[in-house]
Amino acid sequence: MNTAVTGKVDDDLWSAIGDPTRRRMLDLLLIEGDGTATTLSQQLPVTRQAVAKHLGVLDRAGLVRATPTGREKRYRVDNAQLARAVTQLSSVGAAWDARLQRIRRIAEAIQRTQQN
Amino acid sequence: MEFGTIEREIYIEASPEVVFEVVSSPDHLKQWWPDDARYEPTPGSPGEIVFGDRDAGGTVVAFTVVDARPPRTFSFRWTHPADEAATEDNSLLVTFDLTPSGAGTLLRMTETGFRELGWEIAVLEQQYQEHVTGWDFYLPRLAPYVATLQVRP
Repeated sequence: MNTAVTGKVDDDLWSAIGDPTRRRMLDLLLIEGDGTATTLSQQLPVTRQAVAKHLGVLDRAGLVRATPTGREKRYRVDNAQLARAVTQLSSVGAAWDARLQRIRRIAEAIQRTQQN
Repeated sequence: MEFGTIEREIYIEASPEVVFEVVSSPDHLKQWWPDDARYEPTPGSPGEIVFGDRDAGGTVVAFTVVDARPPRTFSFRWTHPADEAATEDNSLLVTFDLTPSGAGTLLRMTETGFRELGWEIAVLEQQYQEHVTGWDFYLPRLAPYVATLQVRP
């Protein structure tokens, strides 16, 4: 595995999904199936230009896929990449869950040793 | 960069004194987290934790004790650059709060900081854990370890 490459992909994913406006855009795309910079900007308190920039970030992170339709690109969520991002986002919490279980087992083993 | 908090709570059937030892002493820390831990469990004490083999490609991570009040609170900062003092901007703050509950202890853990910092380390740890999958690794270590512990009054 090339960790340098996967590390870069992971950074892109994290910063792409770390922004509240972009998460809202993903929500809207999931609800509506697809959307363009124009349709999304009509539902968000940001300009069409700003939405187009955000879509570019999501596209580079692989979270959305664009198809050209008429004058504007139409975007859909890439479900596989989104699932991967969600797994990664939860991994920090999962790491703590595992550590806390180990803390519990060690402390309880010590407590039993002291009582015996 | 996004600032975030992780909160967890777990009930442990052991006294706060025992749980405090397990979450705060470097010798115990090595049993539930990194492969090596070097720090004094007193506020301001700088130290480090190591994942993997220090001399064979392992990763050394800075670790600074922030607060140690047995048996109630232990907190530390980690992930800051080794040559910098730990601050809110360059590190993650982990706080353990211990509350007596029945015959045991309610242990509350919060980790706060810029999530990107935690993300990097979670990836590192994940990659490391893939080689030593969880309890297959920790259980054989734990039994002989517990057997060596001093029984206290």
